[in-house]
Amino acid sequence: MSSSTESKQTSREFKDNLQLLMHLPMLSGLPLEPLKLLAYLCRRQIFRAGQFIFHQEDLDPNAYLILSGRALLMLEDPRELDLVEMGEMTFVGGLSLFCEMKRIYALKALTDVATLTLSREKFQKTLEQYPNIGPRIFEATARTIIRWETHFVREHLSQCSECRNRMQIPPT
Amino acid sequence: MITKRPLFYWVKTSSWKLQILLLILIAVGVAARVFPLEMQKRIVNQAIGLGRVNLLFLYCGLYLAAVLLASGIKFIINVIQTYLGQQTLARLRKELYEHILTLPMGFYRRTSSGMVVSSLVTEVVSAGEMVGQAVAVPVNNILTLLAFTGYMFYLNPLLAALSLTIYPLILFAVPMLQRRANIENKKRVDATRNLSSKIGETVSGIHEVHGNGSFHIENKRFGELVESLYRIRVRWNVYRFGIKVLNNLFQNMGPFILFIVGGYLAISGRFDLGALVAFLSAYEKLYDPWKELMDYYQTYQDASVSYRRLMEYFDEQPEFALAPPDRPPYQLAASVQVRDLSFSVSPRVHLLQKVSFDLEPGQSMALIGFSGSGKSTLVHCIGQLYRYTGGSIQIGGHEVQELTKKDMARNVGIVAQTPYIFDGTIRENLLYSCEAIYNPEDGDEPSRLPQLDDMIEVIQQVGLFVDVLRFGLNTVIGREEGEELQEKIIRMRYRFQSEFGEVLGEDIEFFDIKKYMLYSSVSANLTFGTALQEVFAPENLADNEYFLWFLDKAELMEPLLELGRDATLQTMDILGNIEPDALFFEQSPMEPDEFEEYKALPPRLAASDVADLSNADKAMLLRLALRFVAGTHITGEVPPELQEALIRARNQFRDRIQTDHPGAFSFYRMSVYLPVLPILDNILFGKTRTDLPGAQERVAQSLVHLLIEEDLLERIVEIGMDFRVGPKGDRLSGGQRQKLAIARTFLKRPRLLLLDEATSALDNASQKRIQNVLEKQWKGRSTIIAVAHRLDTVKDYDKIAVMKAGRIVEMGAFNELLQRKGVLYELVHGVKADI
Repeated sequence: MSSSTESKQTSREFKDNLQLLMHLPMLSGLPLEPLKLLAYLCRRQIFRAGQFIFHQEDLDPNAYLILSGRALLMLEDPRELDLVEMGEMTFVGGLSLFCEMKRIYALKALTDVATLTLSREKFQKTLEQYPNIGPRIFEATARTIIRWETHFVREHLSQCSECRNRMQIPPT
Repeated sequence: MITKRPLFYWVKTSSWKLQILLLILIAVGVAARVFPLEMQKRIVNQAIGLGRVNLLFLYCGLYLAAVLLASGIKFIINVIQTYLGQQTLARLRKELYEHILTLPMGFYRRTSSGMVVSSLVTEVVSAGEMVGQAVAVPVNNILTLLAFTGYMFYLNPLLAALSLTIYPLILFAVPMLQRRANIENKKRVDATRNLSSKIGETVSGIHEVHGNGSFHIENKRFGELVESLYRIRVRWNVYRFGIKVLNNLFQNMGPFILFIVGGYLAISGRFDLGALVAFLSAYEKLYDPWKELMDYYQTYQDASVSYRRLMEYFDEQPEFALAPPDRPPYQLAASVQVRDLSFSVSPRVHLLQKVSFDLEPGQSMALIGFSGSGKSTLVHCIGQLYRYTGGSIQIGGHEVQELTKKDMARNVGIVAQTPYIFDGTIRENLLYSCEAIYNPEDGDEPSRLPQLDDMIEVIQQVGLFVDVLRFGLNTVIGREEGEELQEKIIRMRYRFQSEFGEVLGEDIEFFDIKKYMLYSSVSANLTFGTALQEVFAPENLADNEYFLWFLDKAELMEPLLELGRDATLQTMDILGNIEPDALFFEQSPMEPDEFEEYKALPPRLAASDVADLSNADKAMLLRLALRFVAGTHITGEVPPELQEALIRARNQFRDRIQTDHPGAFSFYRMSVYLPVLPILDNILFGKTRTDLPGAQERVAQSLVHLLIEEDLLERIVEIGMDFRVGPKGDRLSGGQRQKLAIARTFLKRPRLLLLDEATSALDNASQKRIQNVLEKQWKGRSTIIAVAHRLDTVKDYDKIAVMKAGRIVEMGAFNELLQRKGVLYELVHGVKADI
């Protein structure tokens, strides 16, 4: 197929989605075919300012990439506590693509927030179609978790003696 | 038990009348096949030899009659055989399925569902079909063989004996070659597998090949494998052809002996010409029954091996009886007494040890402890899902191991941790547990099933009401639902617009004749109405000549074909190389069942301009374009120019069609019901935006009080009860599935309620709601044993049992345990609120 018909047939939204997914660490290095499928299965959503993208304890099956706007990561239980503001190109909730889990924090839109949303069901159906990509995604995800842990140990553990006693993460 | 039965049990128990009929038919059929041979002889010797035309006609007539009779009988034999075989297959499937369902839970932990599926679907087939053939085929062929050889001996014993001498050779030589061929075939399969894995390896490591420039090494390795495969394949084929040639040769050797000996006898006047012709025919007819017998032997071997394997696989006893044979099911008092209960899966692995407790009827107990502590196992033992290995559990004074499944189902309700929802409607799933205990086949009255009011009550209790309401609102109602309902809906439409039009304006795209509607299809945007005549229905528009003429005239044809082309090409680009799931079509105007048809289009689209395509291809493209919803579908775009052109064409279309085909369309108007749109769109007079999460819920919530005032709420919920949940309930969310499972158990009102982390997939509000129902409506009436996954839900239980490593380490009321400052105290005051 010539490149001119290619550009004509492909919708802008799909091309943008593909671009965006390619640069996510969790999906980096995947072959083009499964990436295209994921880009096609993603949905664009708009959350209004003040709306919760998800609540703490929600069984929300989605991962979100924030495309525009600002959102606040916060705790609701046992008391409300603002954690951190998130802006464009933040990827939130990737782990819930792997299994059903309750949100350990809430995410609230501060402004109108546009997201690229991928559901666990669609992600897992993609894995069924392209089982070869599973190990790569698991590897990328494990690396992300190790990075978090490293960061956590360096930044927090030295300052909080109480945390040290309760630490249950395995040494990596 | 079914698994102990030999294959021939099924032959013995098949219809004897049919088997006897079969034998009679076979006997007649064989006679009808030998008879023409005698006629052949007489035609040659008497009619032709003596020049008697009347005899020629007589014998030929008889010949024809016998041939027709033989064919007719053969057909009937086949039909009966098929009937017997299929009947057995159906019987085998049903009885095996019945047996498999009763097998203990443990069996299913060891077995994949795929294995059970292939057993019941493919593996039983050979056994079933074998039974159809079991009598008919051997009898028929042996009889035929005997009849033909008998006839040959009757014609000339010497010749018959001579021509049969080569058969022992076939018996020896062909199987020997076949064995060789089989060995080579096995080698071929292995070699092919090696070759495949080599290719796979090279492709995965291609960067190393390029990086090292090791092309020649890889070529050499691959070459060796190909060479070896090549040699094996040559040998394999030589053996196969050898068998063919040998078979052929033997078949033709017979006539050779026949001609040389028979010809000599004929010349010397000891054998007549007619007999020679008949002999030749008889000899040729020997081969088929012979071959069929050989095949039959093979089929029989295969079938009995696979049958035995199949039966061995499921050869296990059910752990509990299904129903009491000599009494009605018990109505148990819901007291629970557990004494020294233990459950071990192997001598060393104890999942439960020395568990003891008592519950009076109406008492409640919560089980807590870390995962793996045995909470679920305990509940499974009480619910008779596992057979405990020691100690005792008594419900109402009856030992659980001795109760039947029916006794349990009558008195106990279990909500599993990951409940399973079956394909069907919400209503069917709600009634599942009740229908299981009120089985009309057992003489139970169907009137004991819950009524609509009961069902609405439980879906409210579990918090599924708004979901079911939404399913109802998204239903398209037929004309049979009546005009009264439609009028009410139109009334609601006006009220909704005045009360919520502004508040929810952002969530809804109202039908507006001046705007392009992103959440409606291209065809709805163009016609701005719904078709009243079948030929103008959306699915028929692409083939409607009047409509096509209009598109041409409005200069819309080309841009729409291009939109259809884009949608086709892009969908195929993404999904063309896989076997897509239905879920993958949500954002494409293509339907899953059209996928194969559209797969053929891209090459034709590449070869020519859209304008030059055949009419059929154009119609396919147009169909996609007309269905395209700009706000939802991602496989194309409706550019602003096209949107404007469609709005312009809207008015023209309306004017034209009202003159040319009055009554073809009902146009979107506030005062008119829109028959092909769902109830919700009719009330809103628009579409809910799909890119705003929560929009549907907000809209549905705001509709509730309008629906109550119009007395429509229950009606719509009732319509929603007919929503189909899809296989495994996958059109529902995880929370909805769990709520539905709780609702179906609540509806049964069991005396003993077992909850195995029944609310773990629910949000906090729903959990509290259900906890509340348990407190207010169930406590005191039914005995409850609940595996809890959160500590804040357990305060109000009469007893709390803390489990650790298969034992109850602490038991008592909440406050009592806190004062004791034991494990519960630590859990409550520890870091972990979740357990």
